[in-house]
Amino acid sequence: MSLVNYATREITCKIVYYGPGRSGKTTNLHYIYSQVPSNRKGQMVSLATQTDRTLFFDFLPIDLGVISGFSTRFQLYTVPGQVYYQTTRKLVLHGADGVVFVADSQARQLDENMESLQDLHANLADHGVDARRLPFVMQYNKQDLPADLILGVPELEEQLNFRGVPSFAADALHGRGVFESLRALSEQVLRKLSNPGGGQR
Amino acid sequence: MRFSVAAEWVELPLKQFVDEARVQLAVLLYPSGQVLGQFGFGRSVDVMTACALSAAITASSAELGRMVDGTPFTDLHYAGRDKQLFLGQVPIADGALVFLTVFDDESSLGLVQLFFREFCAVTASVVPSSNAETPALSDDFERELNHNLAVLFGRQ
Repeated sequence: MSLVNYATREITCKIVYYGPGRSGKTTNLHYIYSQVPSNRKGQMVSLATQTDRTLFFDFLPIDLGVISGFSTRFQLYTVPGQVYYQTTRKLVLHGADGVVFVADSQARQLDENMESLQDLHANLADHGVDARRLPFVMQYNKQDLPADLILGVPELEEQLNFRGVPSFAADALHGRGVFESLRALSEQVLRKLSNPGGGQR
Repeated sequence: MRFSVAAEWVELPLKQFVDEARVQLAVLLYPSGQVLGQFGFGRSVDVMTACALSAAITASSAELGRMVDGTPFTDLHYAGRDKQLFLGQVPIADGALVFLTVFDDESSLGLVQLFFREFCAVTASVVPSSNAETPALSDDFERELNHNLAVLFGRQ
């Protein structure tokens, strides 16, 4: 849940990048880390295996500055995507204020995307979170790969975005769609703070 | 060195603990990694990192405890060359909070554990049963959000 301190006028929100293994969640955080000036970010922490696969999570704290008079900070997490890290994903998801689902656009990864999406909904349900009320955006990563290897956005929308949440084509390695995804999710998360009973817009 | 708290009720037990146990760093957080109050950190982003790692250690050691011992490990102690770390759970009415403290030879594990027990008791007595406050940003926050994100990403 977002933490709001009225006395010091500070807000802290937890954002989780979710999705199947190798879909580009860590790449999103690396790109954000590379763009944000050092006085507005902390160290990027990666609890990874020797081959750089995420073992527990990646973590990046960023300072968004003052919004509506509140110093606003975001904690960005990724989850490990591989199927066998189910328990870890559930732990990292705990208390999330919003989720960016990073889907792999490659046609052969469609089943993994769907499985990860189901896993996300199951984990949210286990935490007692109504997925329909959680700020959520969909990111279709790797749209820069050759057209014969990937699914187009319309097809991915039809297969994965049954809730009709905001979605973005992305090439996280070069930054396309990363900023837009974070901005759209930030807006939903803060909208919830400005209108707690109003649900998602 | 300074205190900062995200919830008013944290201030009293945290200050008492720091004064009595003579520690260098202390942070109280939710198990999800959200900070409630801290002492000793200079930058807010460093506090967030310490919280994320503390939450991860607590969650994973609890799972390890369940696996090897049938019950979760709740407290951890690590003695480094110059500094020691104590990570404990603070039971409250609807679950537990996580507490991390770092100390050197100005203090000791015994002292920390002694005052940690007092900290738990005081915290349990002052923690509100639920977060009743309703956060409210102004409706036109998007302009500032977009501006700040654009600045952050060097797009302005």
